[in-house]
Amino acid sequence: MKREVIEADVICVGGGIAGLMAAIRAAELGAKVVVAEKGNTLRSGAGASGNDHFFCYMPDVHGTDMNAAIAEWRATMVGGKVALKKGMAYVRTWFGMSLDIVKLWDSWGIPMTYRGKYEFAGHAFPGHPLMRLKYSGQDQKRVLSKEARKRGAIIRNRLMVFDLLGDGSISGALGIDTREDKLVELRAKSVVLGTGGCIRLYPSPTPGWMSNLEWTFGLTGGGRAMAYRAGAELVDMEMPYRHAGPKYLAGIGKATWVGVLRDPQGKPVSPFVKEPSRQYGDVGADVYQTVFEDYAKSGRGPVYMDCRGISDEDYEYMTYWLEQEGNLALLDHWKDEGIDPRKHRVEFMTYGMTHIGGVYYNDKTETSMQGVYAAGDEFGSGISGAAVYGWVAGENAAGHARTATPPAYGNDLIEDRESLFEDIRSREVGPGWREANVALQQVMQDHAGTVRSESSLNAGLNHLRRLKEKARSTMIARNQHELMRCVEVLDLLDLGELVFLAALERKETRGKHVRPDYPFTNPLLDGKLLTLKRVGNSPVIEWKETSR
Amino acid sequence: MPPVIDKSKCDGCGVCVNICPEDIFFGSEKKQVPVVAYPEECWHCGSCKLDCKRDAIRLRIPLPAMLCYDTEPLTK
Repeated sequence: MKREVIEADVICVGGGIAGLMAAIRAAELGAKVVVAEKGNTLRSGAGASGNDHFFCYMPDVHGTDMNAAIAEWRATMVGGKVALKKGMAYVRTWFGMSLDIVKLWDSWGIPMTYRGKYEFAGHAFPGHPLMRLKYSGQDQKRVLSKEARKRGAIIRNRLMVFDLLGDGSISGALGIDTREDKLVELRAKSVVLGTGGCIRLYPSPTPGWMSNLEWTFGLTGGGRAMAYRAGAELVDMEMPYRHAGPKYLAGIGKATWVGVLRDPQGKPVSPFVKEPSRQYGDVGADVYQTVFEDYAKSGRGPVYMDCRGISDEDYEYMTYWLEQEGNLALLDHWKDEGIDPRKHRVEFMTYGMTHIGGVYYNDKTETSMQGVYAAGDEFGSGISGAAVYGWVAGENAAGHARTATPPAYGNDLIEDRESLFEDIRSREVGPGWREANVALQQVMQDHAGTVRSESSLNAGLNHLRRLKEKARSTMIARNQHELMRCVEVLDLLDLGELVFLAALERKETRGKHVRPDYPFTNPLLDGKLLTLKRVGNSPVIEWKETSR
Repeated sequence: MPPVIDKSKCDGCGVCVNICPEDIFFGSEKKQVPVVAYPEECWHCGSCKLDCKRDAIRLRIPLPAMLCYDTEPLTK
């Protein structure tokens, strides 16, 4: 393998919303910044082709007493619950900075107003505060990439970082070029993790079509995996999340539709909206994502998104925002198949399992490892959280880089990875990445799925560990692209193992973590986080208080 | 889902090859009509279609991802 060495003050691992915001801020504070992006920052991550909702606290709209606004948000919140796990200081900074970031984005050319005004809609209960600002995010990644470059940040596309270098504190990171046979050593004083969410641990709703997922195919939890291997703390890895949206065409979402979720007889499935509302959408699917699955299983389904009868103005409004959210595939499909939501009701479904737990970071974006910062969906935050905390991460990473003295690191890890990759590339016979990924999804679904018990989790964990060893020693890749996918699967295997370990430790039923052997929700665990950390070669699992 | 490229419109500019988040056009030659080498890794984000200046790309929705819909009357 060829070798390349890159030196910087701050490395942003992942060039999504969080990574680019960190790069912009760190570069304008004078740091030498390199963004390492597996795809291309112009169109990568969960915001690749757009978004249309941005959480924002606006004193003119929500009242000048921020504490009162936070209290009201807590009482009627939809989504955003992960923010509370990062502590109230995190929530206050998020509220306090969101409008400044909105103004910045608008000044850079991401339209944050609609027809000249701020417009709040969606993800809210009728009669309660609307906190999602509608914005035209289709070109957000292009704008943010330009702003990063303007400030001198260097963007390295098709560079997949997979491990952190250092000893106790950070010295850099290690990556591969995804197009040519090259190992890249990135030396840095600070690292910002912004690799997004973790998907592909569980099967897609479509057997045999793995990419039919609710989020970007390449979001495979790289940040979580490298942070864990380097000794940083992960949290909530066992807590499942179920997303929902149109049946079979995953990745479209639900909050931008102007319609009501109804059963086959036309009865609304939630008590919140009775008629289509462009202002509120149907918040039912936000608070009860498994309504579709539960209705289907109990013989009451299917459940439809029913937009019939909406005005042409509302239809135009809805399609405009669906386009800004990046739903070109849906809009093209409507056109090709003659589907008109003003006439047709569209079936919705609950998608497969995923986890939004990940790298623990606080209101300063500090992780438990010195010099390593994390933001965005490294621990579920959504677009607005990624933008605000990407900025915070850039500021703190640049500050740390000014005084840090990175420890020396040995060559062992580099040589181990180089030898592993050369083996994967040189084998002629063996399973490809997809085969290994399917095997992993199968054991996750069957043994750490919607119902979990100690005996099943232990059986699954044993199987997964054998699978992990087998994948590592037999996988093949015909080129660098396939090697990138193999590395993703190795990360997923590490993360799957952690899900099993954490699910065994959480001896209670909470949310979608269902343990028939512990059917109650343990109130003593309210407000606590289950943390996982690698010490030596073993995982250490500990309960900690939320506000640290 | 995987993009379909209209060869009569494509001028081989390479923008789609450059920006695809999943690199499904991996291995495509410069100044040639791109090859969809890994169609099953396409996530239908539509970036290629958005950025194609010659309107040469459409997204083909695979049969298993077709929407379920109907027009049954509702009894409210």
